[in-house]
Amino acid sequence: MSPNRLEFSTTSPTQFVDITPRIQEAISRSGLRDGRVHLQSLHTTLGLAVNENEPLLLRDFEGLLERLAPAHAGYEHDDFARRFEIRIDEPVNGHAHCRQLLLSAFATLLVEDGQLVLGRWQSVFAVELDGPRQRQVAIQLEGVFATHVREPAESLVELELARQLLVDPEPIASPMRRLIEAGGKRLRPRLVQLTSAIGPRTDPLRAAELAAAVELLHNATLIHDDYVDESTHRRGRPTVAAAEGAERAIAVGDYYFAKATRLIAQIGNPGVTSAVAEALEAICASQIDDVALRGTYPGDRESYLRVIRGKTASLFAAACASGALLSEANADVVAALRRYGDLLGTAFQMADDVIDFSPSSGKTVGLDIRQRVLSLPLIYAAEDRVVGPEVRRLLAGTLGDPEVGRVTELVTSTDALPRVRREAQALIDEAVRELEAVELDGLRPVLVSVAKSAVDRSS
Amino acid sequence: MSVEVALEPELDRLEALWSDGLADAYQAYLPGVDQPKLALAAALIEVGVRLQGLGGRAAPPTTLLVGDLCLARGSRILADHAPLAVQVAFARAIESLSSAAAAEEPAPASTRELLLQSLGAAR
Repeated sequence: MSPNRLEFSTTSPTQFVDITPRIQEAISRSGLRDGRVHLQSLHTTLGLAVNENEPLLLRDFEGLLERLAPAHAGYEHDDFARRFEIRIDEPVNGHAHCRQLLLSAFATLLVEDGQLVLGRWQSVFAVELDGPRQRQVAIQLEGVFATHVREPAESLVELELARQLLVDPEPIASPMRRLIEAGGKRLRPRLVQLTSAIGPRTDPLRAAELAAAVELLHNATLIHDDYVDESTHRRGRPTVAAAEGAERAIAVGDYYFAKATRLIAQIGNPGVTSAVAEALEAICASQIDDVALRGTYPGDRESYLRVIRGKTASLFAAACASGALLSEANADVVAALRRYGDLLGTAFQMADDVIDFSPSSGKTVGLDIRQRVLSLPLIYAAEDRVVGPEVRRLLAGTLGDPEVGRVTELVTSTDALPRVRREAQALIDEAVRELEAVELDGLRPVLVSVAKSAVDRSS
Repeated sequence: MSVEVALEPELDRLEALWSDGLADAYQAYLPGVDQPKLALAAALIEVGVRLQGLGGRAAPPTTLLVGDLCLARGSRILADHAPLAVQVAFARAIESLSSAAAAEEPAPASTRELLLQSLGAAR
C-alpha cells in the first residue's frame, strides 16, 4: 500500500475539479502496474464522482445540485442559535453538506498495465460544494508494482518539466500542468535526449533541460492551435481555450513560448537556440498556410507536404539537430540527424492522418474532417475517380455526423489509407538511410526503432 | 515610409504590417540599438502581442496566427543577432506581460517600456 494525498485549491462555491491526470501521475510515479486506486474525500463538503468532463454538462450537474439542495432553502444546520460550540467562522453551508450526501466520499478505480481504467468519456472529479477552499483527497494504491518505472533519461525530463512548472505563477502553470500530465508521446524530448548522446560532450542534465524546454514549446503551440481550430478536447481533456477561455489560452501559450525560448537560450549554445527558433518560425508560418488552405479544403498533396513539414516536421528536425549540436557532434552528423527528424516528422503526421480513420484508436473517428484539418488520405480520396466527386461535394457543405460518417466510409473504400501508410513507410526507410552514412556511436538501432514506432502505431 | 532593403527578407508574410504600426514601432526602438535588426525584433514583438490581444480581448484566430508569427520572427532575429542577455530580457518581458494577462492583472509596464529596457540589457 502506498499512502498519499492529492492537494488542490478550489476557486468557486461549486466546482468540478478533474483529478484524473493527478491520479494517473500518482500511478505512474508509484510504478503500479495492475491493481486498484482508492480515493477518499477528507471533507464533508467535497464529493467524488466519475463522469464526462464536458463544460456544459458540468453546468447541468451544478444546476441539478442546486435544484435538489438549493443554496438558500434554509437548513437547520445553519441555525447557529440552536447549535453549540460553533466556530467564529462557521460557514452557512447546510446545502453543501446535503449535496455531498447525494455524491460519494469514496471511489475505487482499477489500474491495468500502469493505466487508470476509464471509459472513453470518463473522468474522475473532486466536486467542491462549499468553495473556495484548500482540499485534500486521500489516495492509496495497491497491487503489483513494477521494480523499474521509467528509463532514467525519461524521468529526468519529467522531473525537469515538473520543476519548471513548480516555479511558475499558478494561473499560468495550472493549465500547462493539466496538458503535460494528460500524457503525450514525448517524442520530441526523446529525440533531443537520444541525439544529445552522440557527440563528444554528453551532459544528461543539460539535455534534459533542453528536452523539457522543447516539450514546453510544443505544448505552447498546441494551446494556440486548439483555440484556432476550436478544438474542445486534447488528450481526452478539455483544451485550455475551452476550459478557461481564449484570453487565458493566448496568455499561457505566450508565456511558455517565451519561457521555453529563454531556457533554451540560457543553455548557452547559439546553434541550439537558432535551430529551435527557426523551427518555431516555420511552425507559425505553416499554421497560417494551414488555415488559408481550408478555403480550398481538402487541398492538394504539394500544399499538404509544405504545411506539415513546417507545422510538424520542423520541430522534429530541430529536436534532432539541437540534441546533436548540444553534444558538439560533427556538422555532417547534425545535418543527417536534421534530415532524419524532418522525414520522421513528416511520416509521423501521415500516420496521424491514417489513425484519424481508425475506430480502434481511442479517438473520435473523422475529427480531422470535422475540423477541416489537412489530411493526406482525404486529399487522395477527393482525387479518386470513383468516389472523389461525392467526397468533394460533401466537404463543400456543412459537416455534421452523417456527412463525416459518409466521408469516412468513402475514404476507407479507396486505396487512400494504404497509400498513405506506404508513403509514410517510405519516408521512414529514407530517414533510416540518413543514419547509415554517419557515425552515431552505437545509437543507430534505437533511432531506427523510434522511427519505426512513429508510424507503426494505433494511437 | 519604405522598408530598408536589409530588413525586407525579415518581413516575409508580414509586409502589410509595416504601414500598420510596425514602421512606427521600429522607429521608436531604433535610437537605442547598434543593429537595426534588433529594433525590428522589438517592433515585431510589440506588434505581435498587440495583434494577439494579450491582456485584452482575444484576437480572432487568423489575427492570432499573424501575432504568433511576429513573436516567432522577432525571437528568431534575436537568437541570430542579439547577445544572450538581451534574448533573456526579451523572453522575461513577454513572460511578465503574459503572466499578468493570465492573472487578469495590469501589466507591470507598457510593452514598449519593457522591450526598451530589454534592449538595454546588454549594456
